[in-house]
Amino acid sequence: MNTRSLETRRRDWRLATTFAFTALGCAVLLGGLSAWFLGSVALAGLTTAALTFNFHIPAALVRLFALGRVAARYGERLVGHRAALGDQVARRVDLFSCMAAAPGVRRAGWQLGDPARLADYLDDVEDVDYARLRAGLPFRTLTVGFTALILATAWLAPLALVPVGVLLAAGAFLVRRLKREGTAALATARAKRNAGAQEFGAALAAGVPLKAEGQWAACAHEALATLDTGEHATGALRRAQVPLDTLSALAGPLVGASAMLATWFAGLRGGALLASAFLAFAWLAFGESVTGASRIVVALLRRKAAAEALDLWSETKHEAVCVLPEPTTASLCRLGHAGLQRLSPAGLPLGTAPLALSLTAGVPTILKGASGSGKTSLLKQIAGWIGEDRFAFDGGILDAYARCAVTTLVLHDAAVLEDTVRANLFATDQSDVLLWQALEATELDARIKAAGGLDAWLRQDTLSLGEAQRLNLARAWLSTKPIVLLDEPAEHLDTGQGERILKGLAEHLRERIVVVAAHHDVPALTGVAHAIDL
Amino acid sequence: MRCHNAAMTTELQDNPATEADPCRTDRPPGSFAALPFAQALGRNALRVLVGLQIARTVFRIGFAAMAAATVGRLVMGTPVDPALPLIALGSFIASAVAGACAERREAFAETRIACALRERAGNRLATLGARSLQAMPAGETIVALQRHPGAVAALAVGHKAAMTMMGFGPLLAAAALLLVSWQAGLLVMGLTPVMIVFFVLVGATIRRRADDQERAFAHLARQFADRIRTLPTIFANHAFARERDTLSRRLDAHAGRTMGVLSIAFVNAGLIDFFASLSIAMLAVFLGLGHLGLVSLPGFSGLAFWQSLFILMVAPEYFAPFRRFSELYHVKAQGVAAAAALDRLMDREPATEPHIEAIEGDLHALPERGLVAIVGASGSGKTTLLRRLAGADAQAGQGAPPLAGATWVSTDGFVPAGSLADAMAWRCPSATPARIEEVGHALGLADDRLLPGGLSAHVAAGGGNLSGGQRVRLAVARALIADRPVLADEPTAKLDDATAARVREALCTLAQTRCVVVATHDRALASAAMRTIDLDRTVKREAAA
Repeated sequence: MNTRSLETRRRDWRLATTFAFTALGCAVLLGGLSAWFLGSVALAGLTTAALTFNFHIPAALVRLFALGRVAARYGERLVGHRAALGDQVARRVDLFSCMAAAPGVRRAGWQLGDPARLADYLDDVEDVDYARLRAGLPFRTLTVGFTALILATAWLAPLALVPVGVLLAAGAFLVRRLKREGTAALATARAKRNAGAQEFGAALAAGVPLKAEGQWAACAHEALATLDTGEHATGALRRAQVPLDTLSALAGPLVGASAMLATWFAGLRGGALLASAFLAFAWLAFGESVTGASRIVVALLRRKAAAEALDLWSETKHEAVCVLPEPTTASLCRLGHAGLQRLSPAGLPLGTAPLALSLTAGVPTILKGASGSGKTSLLKQIAGWIGEDRFAFDGGILDAYARCAVTTLVLHDAAVLEDTVRANLFATDQSDVLLWQALEATELDARIKAAGGLDAWLRQDTLSLGEAQRLNLARAWLSTKPIVLLDEPAEHLDTGQGERILKGLAEHLRERIVVVAAHHDVPALTGVAHAIDL
Repeated sequence: MRCHNAAMTTELQDNPATEADPCRTDRPPGSFAALPFAQALGRNALRVLVGLQIARTVFRIGFAAMAAATVGRLVMGTPVDPALPLIALGSFIASAVAGACAERREAFAETRIACALRERAGNRLATLGARSLQAMPAGETIVALQRHPGAVAALAVGHKAAMTMMGFGPLLAAAALLLVSWQAGLLVMGLTPVMIVFFVLVGATIRRRADDQERAFAHLARQFADRIRTLPTIFANHAFARERDTLSRRLDAHAGRTMGVLSIAFVNAGLIDFFASLSIAMLAVFLGLGHLGLVSLPGFSGLAFWQSLFILMVAPEYFAPFRRFSELYHVKAQGVAAAAALDRLMDREPATEPHIEAIEGDLHALPERGLVAIVGASGSGKTTLLRRLAGADAQAGQGAPPLAGATWVSTDGFVPAGSLADAMAWRCPSATPARIEEVGHALGLADDRLLPGGLSAHVAAGGGNLSGGQRVRLAVARALIADRPVLADEPTAKLDDATAARVREALCTLAQTRCVVVATHDRALASAAMRTIDLDRTVKREAAA
């Protein structure tokens, strides 16, 4: 891994913070200094002091702050994004590891294969990724700027602290209210968006029956109405942000004006007021920088909601170190369980009696049964994906964790990775000759040649269902694991082709333990296989 | 990934096509036209929004004038009318209120338009035939309906308002400056063409670099999503470690490229900052020299302190709308992409109905009650015939379909989220708890060991936690509870023998009281029918004739 090191990222964040402070400092000083400067020269211009007035230093400072503000803002944006992107890469790699370790991946129906869910998930990931840039950094900068201005005010115009106190109290109240209302609105928005997408997905999948029953229009509109509820909640969140933003827009000018008036009431006149004019215009410039205070609060609320949702997916803390079993190269001839309690996808006990299972290398086992009889779950149980069963093998006991490492499971809904053919075959250490043999054995060679060979780029929609299934079988052909489990291997293939490929595959894997789940007979394996009817 | 899209489109000039009046577009009539629709709907809201934003700017300028006058007089020791600070305060509060109203209006209008757009999409989907519905790319459609309306609404309202304000805002600020010193106004305005020249120069670079990198960029951005989507497969093939390293390497490269684009994209906002700062620095120096009175600068000499303060306060207002607009670049990129995606989905060609010889022409009248079986090889048109009987296809021939509103029995029936009993009684007002229980037991649904919890077992939307067999039985249960004809598509395929027998028996029971049409390969079921429509034979007969 060549991910930017933690130290580099820390340095980036420090640099970004420095730039942010510099930008705010320059902006505030520019506001104050230009007012002071104009006032000074205006007063000097009235007398002969004009001749001795040092014009160049303040003018140079004005230029310095003006250009410093531009440069620091650009630097803040650039380095801030670099730091956030560095964090993002590291976080996403960690998140990927945790997701891979989560049991959900191995249970039924991987829901992040569904685009709407995946899109929501990615939004959550981004909300967490960018929270530091959107909330953490501006919050820190504004707090420091605010404190500095408060100190200056306490020194120059202590009376102006009264309105500051009032504004702070009002601000605290509005932040609390936004937190409360925002959390509720955000929760509704998320829940309804999610529910609406699911309802609509369910309706669309059942399009033909609904159309036939004359219920499609009503059903689709209902689902869309749920999405609208989510849209309204998002709108409510935006409206809830308005009071805080209005207050933060009022704060700068109000405090600035108070500072000016406070010194005036304190009895200062004329040139003596210049210092507080400096302060007043500095407050004004600060006020311009705090617009969008509500965005900080919302970014924090989003991060909280998103982090909770992500935790549900990965079922572990992101920071946790996740260890996955490393494959071992044990060779296995016989694997069995005297009384296996079958489990449903949800982990509930299944079947009337425990199942005696004896799997032998060279004799494929066929799990037969209607859809829903638990074939896939049993395969996953053998693969060690679900349950905590301990299987006996020639030399001892294999627990679920160890079986995971010595098994290739060929899922019936296997996906095509967006990558090269070579990467999709998951056999990086095999020779090209062998890869082509595998493609030939699964009758994919011509298709892949036409697509551009082993380095051709594949996507899920590049391949038809049948081609994806054959790619899946080529992966099984290339597997070096002693146990190979095939779930509905002939699905999406026409009968003749399915039989040819399966026969070849069984012959190729004749020294391994092979289990095939199918909802109908597997003619290719009749005679050689041992069948279990579920 | 929002921020990546964001970096792609950074030009200040809006695409003329998106500005065009919806009535003048060259789209064929009846097309979805998401953006013109949203724009037409948002026209009034946009007017109010721009009005409020103009009011906000005017009040801000008023505040600047009054505040400058107050401070100027205080410092110069001239008497201050107490009305001045009060008017300043009033103007500022008024500008804050106008700003708040604008924000609220914008949120309201965008929500309303997003919902209207979604409704329009819903109405369009409602008219689609079964075949066209099936051909819709499901995932893409769901995502489009979930998030695209909001993105299009934001483009039509918020973004459009910011664009309009780029015309009004600087104009108002320049007018205020001209009132005090036309030379100062000229100086600020003089910077604008220079700024635009820079934008054109930088804009071209941005586009060139963005184009160069877009392809590589797009697929790298999708890598994380793709690896999450394919996790079970990666896991099943023991490729986790390899994929993690690939992901890490590619994301790194991706981050590097993103920075390459962002470093240019930020120049945009940086330029506006630069010109705003430059104008302040220049004005401050000129005004300062003018006040000292050592050199004579036309337009800058002889101004009162409050006037120069006012100029300095208003000059940034001139640049603020440009800045605000440059911050919305991602809204535009997303909105345009969302509108295009919605149009593409909603304006799809309707799926063509296959011409199947065997089912064209008149069907013999269906019986009032009894079992009718449609048999024939795969692809002979069994399901198509069932659909025509139900009137599920868009252009289903002449006259009313004979069995419209029948209960449809298949593995892909609609399953609402809730309890099993709710799903059985869905859209069936005549369902009673007793009947549901009876039917549930008769079909073995209430005591299915794979569905613990009986009739109150939780069922996910779309029946994600049900097997094919359970879903068929659920559909049969609905048929038994409702009092309508039944159309069944392969009701016994994929079922184990015992369940298949149960389903056959239930269909025969149903046939005693109503018309039940089944499309099936199941010989046992076909032989129980009082009438059989053999599509293979129909073709042969017609070919012979």
